[in-house]
Amino acid sequence: MNHPRRRLRLAALAAGIVVLAILPLNSTAYTNYQIALVATYAVAILGLNLVSGYAGQISLGQSAFFGLGGYCAAIATARAGWPLPASFLLACVLPAAVGLLVAIPAVRLRGHGLAIFTLALPLIGVALAKRFNGLTGGTEGRVAQIARAPAWTGLDTDQWTYYVVLAIAGALFLLARNMVTGRLGRALATIRENEVVAVSMGISARRYKGLAFSLAAGYGGAAGWLYVYTIGFVSPVEMEFLLSINLLAMMIVGGMGSVLGSLLGGVLYVYVPIVAGTVDPVRTTLLYGAILLLVLFTAPGGIARALRRTGDRLGDSRAGRGPGPPGPGAAPRAEPAASPLPRT
Amino acid sequence: MEGAAVRAVQQIVDGLATGSIYGALALALVLAHRATGVVNFAQGQMAVVSTFVAWSLTRGGLGVIVAVAGAIAFSLVFGAAVERLVMRRFERETPLIAVVATVGLLLLLNGLSSLIWGYDLKAFPPVFSGGTLRAGGAAVSVTALGTFLVLVAVVLVLYVLMMRTRLGLALRAVADNPDSSALSGLPVGNLLMVGWGLAAGLGAIAGCLVAPKLYLDPNMLAGVLVYALAAAVLGGFDSPLGAVVAAWIIGVSENLAATYIDLIGNDLRISVPLLLTVLVLLLRPQGLFGRREVVRV
Repeated sequence: MNHPRRRLRLAALAAGIVVLAILPLNSTAYTNYQIALVATYAVAILGLNLVSGYAGQISLGQSAFFGLGGYCAAIATARAGWPLPASFLLACVLPAAVGLLVAIPAVRLRGHGLAIFTLALPLIGVALAKRFNGLTGGTEGRVAQIARAPAWTGLDTDQWTYYVVLAIAGALFLLARNMVTGRLGRALATIRENEVVAVSMGISARRYKGLAFSLAAGYGGAAGWLYVYTIGFVSPVEMEFLLSINLLAMMIVGGMGSVLGSLLGGVLYVYVPIVAGTVDPVRTTLLYGAILLLVLFTAPGGIARALRRTGDRLGDSRAGRGPGPPGPGAAPRAEPAASPLPRT
Repeated sequence: MEGAAVRAVQQIVDGLATGSIYGALALALVLAHRATGVVNFAQGQMAVVSTFVAWSLTRGGLGVIVAVAGAIAFSLVFGAAVERLVMRRFERETPLIAVVATVGLLLLLNGLSSLIWGYDLKAFPPVFSGGTLRAGGAAVSVTALGTFLVLVAVVLVLYVLMMRTRLGLALRAVADNPDSSALSGLPVGNLLMVGWGLAAGLGAIAGCLVAPKLYLDPNMLAGVLVYALAAAVLGGFDSPLGAVVAAWIIGVSENLAATYIDLIGNDLRISVPLLLTVLVLLLRPQGLFGRREVVRV
């Protein structure tokens, strides 16, 4: 990454943060909740990206962890009276633990074992949520209005919710970015490109896949907590299979193996139905599917990579070098797969 | 005691019948996987479209058997078209992209069938008569027996097609090694279309067999797909016979678990195939009938 570009990026990031900080003070409650939902789903998609984009394993079960995190939030606060931070911790740790438990047998499967396995999770999750209706409220779900703005802030609930959700989501994004640019990211990239090479370098493919899946589940759970914090409600609908594949679709459209792509995925997930002028779930599913196939046909790297490639081309032509090779834009990771890797 | 034994026998027969439905869809998954190496997550959704076509034909005044035959014919073309128009583009890509494309297809077809046929539950006319056969105290419904026999017939037809015809030989050659097949002058692209067409035809059979029981709606086969995938994994994913046997095992054990284990009951029966698969794969990662994979660098 050259320095002017980096400075430009930092400036854009700073400007973005300032805009996001001022925005809720002047916008409607509806807009604030929409943006909080964007951040919520972006976190869920980011988790999915860790296991699918970075580790190359398709997961169709993210909604199960999303729902589990949501139930953790609702039950721990509204029923058991836990303080909010404790419920957030539970909403991260419990799904991560369940994810690890599922991953242990799933990573032993060749090919898309994890995908097949995870497909069953939302269905089992929904069945469990309906079965233990004393705890979960059954089909009707559970109400948990846990967001309340402290009096000293002078903020309305929607504004407070917005800040809390965006701050947590921002922290989770930063954490994920640091993880994928570090040792974990390099190990996962090697496993994705060539598992045999990875194993021969002493990277335990199973262990790292399991770790990535567990992290993804934890992020899913955190997103579920954010959802309950924003909406104040959770029901088996939040676990359904369709949510999983819609999230997967928007992750691919945003950009596999890209932190920015996860954010774009969240934006698309929330705004596609709105922009389409319909909240009819039927049309929305159709639209998600059509957009996904369109992106796969035209730009398989997703929007994030297409943007970056355009940016590279612009930067190169401004520097008088003409359109450069597709190399830097096409490679989703910073290091080549064969770079020296730390032993695990 | 007599009653308990009869009840157990009936549970097993019912399990074999539902297992046969899972088996038909599992066979479809295995066929598509053998043809193009892709786990087709849209297989169930394609089968739903086929079933809707059959439903429309019955509404048009056709008898149910004729309608099902029409739907199978439609599916052969439909499956081939999906392979040619969508999947062909992704065959040279990484498997991940190809699988995601099937997920896109799932969403698209789900939305399309809701748009065309709506998402209210529709009654699908029964394929078999509603009577029961009695043998030694146990009553077996004609539907259960018929479903089971249909799958046995399908397996036999597939076996003859694959092992006794030139087309089957060509299909097996392409599944084994597409590059060498192309060099031997086989029309690889057309054969892949045939493979996907056959898979969609099998899906149509599965959909029409289960529709009278589940009622028809766009999400009808989401649960069945889980069972079918579990059966395909359990059977080793490349073995048609393995998939069918695994589907029967799943169908029977699910029924017995739902009846005799209170903790599972009717609402948690979907966890049975998953637990079963975990158990088997911890002991035999290649599945019951799969060949052990050797990785070469």
